[in-house]
Amino acid sequence: MKFLLPIFLIFTLSVSAVSPDRSIQDKIYSARDKVMTALVHIQPVIKNYATGEMEKQAVIGSGIVIHEDGYVVTNYHVAGKAERIICTLADKEIVTATYIGGDPMTDISVIKLDLSNYKNKIEIAEFGNSDEVQVGQYVMALGSPLSLSRSLSFGVISTKDRYFSSNVRLPSGERTGRYNLWLQTDAAINPGNSGGPLVDLEGKIVGINSRAQTFANNIGFAIPINVVKAVVAEIIDHKKVIRSWIGLHCQPLQELEEYFGTNGYSGVLISSIDPSSPAEKSFLKAGDIILELDGKPVFARFVEEVPFFYNQIAQYKPGSEISLKVLRNDETFNFKVVTKQLGDLQGEDFESKEWGFTVKEITRQMQVENQLDDMTGVLVVGVKNVGSASEGGLRRRDVISQINSTPIQNFEDFISLYNELTIQKTEKILLTIDRSGATRYVLLDITEEEEDKEDE
Amino acid sequence: MNKKLLYVFTCVIISLCLTQNSMAQSFEFDKLQKLVEEVSVVIEMKVSYSFGAHDNEQEERYLGTVVSEEGLVLFNGLTLGTESPILALTGMNVKTTPSVITVTFLDGTEYPAEFVGVDRFSNIGFLKIKTEDDKKFNYLHFKDDKKYKVGEWMSLYMLLPEYIQPPLSADVGMVSNLIEVPEEFPLIVGFNSLQMTSVLFDEDLNAVGVLGRLSNPSQSNTDQAGMIESFGNFGMPLLGVITEERLAKMIANPPEKGKTDRGWLGITLQALTTEMAEFWNLDIEGGIIINDVAKNSPASKAGLAIGDIIFEVNGQTVEVNKEEKVPIFQRKIAEMGPSAAVEFSIIKRTDSNVDTSKVLATLDKTPMTATDSPDYENEALEYTVRDMVFSDFLYHNLDADVFGGVVVSELKSGGLAEIEGLRYGDIIQRIGDQEIASVGEVEVVMDELEERKVEEIIFFVWRNQKTLFVNVKTDW
Repeated sequence: MKFLLPIFLIFTLSVSAVSPDRSIQDKIYSARDKVMTALVHIQPVIKNYATGEMEKQAVIGSGIVIHEDGYVVTNYHVAGKAERIICTLADKEIVTATYIGGDPMTDISVIKLDLSNYKNKIEIAEFGNSDEVQVGQYVMALGSPLSLSRSLSFGVISTKDRYFSSNVRLPSGERTGRYNLWLQTDAAINPGNSGGPLVDLEGKIVGINSRAQTFANNIGFAIPINVVKAVVAEIIDHKKVIRSWIGLHCQPLQELEEYFGTNGYSGVLISSIDPSSPAEKSFLKAGDIILELDGKPVFARFVEEVPFFYNQIAQYKPGSEISLKVLRNDETFNFKVVTKQLGDLQGEDFESKEWGFTVKEITRQMQVENQLDDMTGVLVVGVKNVGSASEGGLRRRDVISQINSTPIQNFEDFISLYNELTIQKTEKILLTIDRSGATRYVLLDITEEEEDKEDE
Repeated sequence: MNKKLLYVFTCVIISLCLTQNSMAQSFEFDKLQKLVEEVSVVIEMKVSYSFGAHDNEQEERYLGTVVSEEGLVLFNGLTLGTESPILALTGMNVKTTPSVITVTFLDGTEYPAEFVGVDRFSNIGFLKIKTEDDKKFNYLHFKDDKKYKVGEWMSLYMLLPEYIQPPLSADVGMVSNLIEVPEEFPLIVGFNSLQMTSVLFDEDLNAVGVLGRLSNPSQSNTDQAGMIESFGNFGMPLLGVITEERLAKMIANPPEKGKTDRGWLGITLQALTTEMAEFWNLDIEGGIIINDVAKNSPASKAGLAIGDIIFEVNGQTVEVNKEEKVPIFQRKIAEMGPSAAVEFSIIKRTDSNVDTSKVLATLDKTPMTATDSPDYENEALEYTVRDMVFSDFLYHNLDADVFGGVVVSELKSGGLAEIEGLRYGDIIQRIGDQEIASVGEVEVVMDELEERKVEEIIFFVWRNQKTLFVNVKTDW
């Protein structure tokens, strides 16, 4: 009898291994059917200003229809600021779409399909709840990996609270990922999957696939859908996400509790303060530990808890006065900080075609990142290899503060003066620029450009 | 047809070679070789190269020439130079430390020697033979008023690899151009850069200079602010003569490692191009536009300001009318030396007004570079820090009046400091609660912490424009 028991066990195990397989397969089929019909293959044309002239670039991505009116969620790095978007729907019909708005910080954008000539009924997919996702749970990634549309891959959630604390940037240069954690999955995610849905076996979207680790096997990351839901709602309302900013950076306390005399789940450590930020103006310092935010206790003991705190501050309406209870050298103090709007991470671009370079509007975040004294002027993004600007010695990252003797306060000043001087066919233009804190002069000789054109 | 062409072509080549030969030099190599052998030495030294977490020691071998009675020897110091501007600015220095130096004359006599320094403009290195009894050495005399002609021949000897005997090998080259701008430089064809710093002889067997290089000065923009008078080592090297005139100055006053004896004005600058002068209606040939003035520099003390145009130095016209010529001005200032009193004629202009005036500035010495700055190595945590230098503040856009710290210049791979998260290039501002401004302070604090055997040390560091805390667990 004794030797029969193992055999019996093996037998039951094998039986039980067969029957759930059947039901999982069925679940996959039914989940697939719920989502596949709303899947979109997206071909936007984005603009690139980095070479000193505006260059159009066709890219490929994925998206998912989330509303009968034709709203589609995708990544910001797929459709951000795109001017011409062509979408292929699940039934292989082709429609155009317009860019509604986006949020580089979470890498989400929304486009709207033009359904005026679309005969069939548009199918939509449902949002799930990413807070309830579990590590090990089955998921599917749908999209157009390497442009292969309507592809499905399958895997599990590998981690649900991945945080990238180092500076992660989008291809367009914006910082991203500061305010959210990521779902990590081993469902294959390749370039082209970007913007496509990560779906549970109920057929509900739990994340938007955004990035993958290169030179790795199946390490992909999706933005949790609960983050996406809030962001999409704001984008549809205001074209962008409005956040408060006070200019502080935090570090998990775990390793430093003994030094700062804190214990366990209490406090958020300020590690760095941006120059001329509201936090600096309110005399907060690196090393301060925030115990309470408007009377509510806050903590960030582990790195995964840091984005939640950042987000708490971001949620305030810009201009709000927030009160921080702070521990400094074993004493507690109260600080009032008036938040500012985080604003655009990057400004608008403009091609000064006749002069052979491109510029960008300087936003507050660009000022902080580029260590500029203020937001006046425009930032040179690219200089054409051959042209009067490169001839004159203009370089990327120069800030133009004057044209001839007229000060350039902002982007609009630059464009209007550019237009004026171009119409007048002014041949010599003196740019006063700021390069690493030094004031230089760049003389543009436009006559040569004109001659070149006549030759053409 | 093709074969015929090839035949004709070959004939032409052969005849060209023959012509070349028939026109060739007439050196008396027997005599020359004797002359060279008397003053040549083979230099062998151990050099340790360290870069961030890496370091390794290597045997180096150079040809040296004795140039003074006391035993001063010059050689190719390119790899031992400490002032490559890109390295100084980014803090990414390859730190080279020569040790155990021996020089061996070709007759086999061997002496120990000590490293003196490397000239930053020519990369000529100097060392000094150590003797106990004030021995006088045979040395090479350079001819002092050599007139160069295009087409004249030059000869030199180079050092062959160690397994070859005898070790010296002759070569010839021809003066091909007498370069005037950016500096006077007799160009020579026929030599290669492995022969750098070999002594050049003319056909009368006069030593006239050493083989050196001219680089494109417009490629020297690695020092983005130009404040430390950098000169690039980039671009295609053009070989030619470092003349007796330049050598004599170096031999009389050899460059010493860590000693900066160059003049410094403390401005960022650009050329007043002919086009700009025209645009502003200025009736001058060229000039220097001041882009920025360093705090407390000679320029700021003299009242020079951003936008001023320097058009004369000590009454001499500044003939800088294109960006490529800026280094001429920079070198001129550098070579005047610290504490030189210099009169600048300047233009201050606005759209409606042009004022001319003269200002007097007393030059300072060029700020110390990262490699020369004092450092401190902590053996327990296996990290090295160095004092901050002028270029650190410049490069990171930091204000020396309010910002202090020391730079992490070396981290041993696998050492505690590295494992626990200090990074190469971090600027340590505080250790525990102690503010840090110099390596001396680090040493005091670290000694005290080691004595108390603390379990963890909290560094407050500046990294990529932000600050953070780094907790290093100890294992004293």
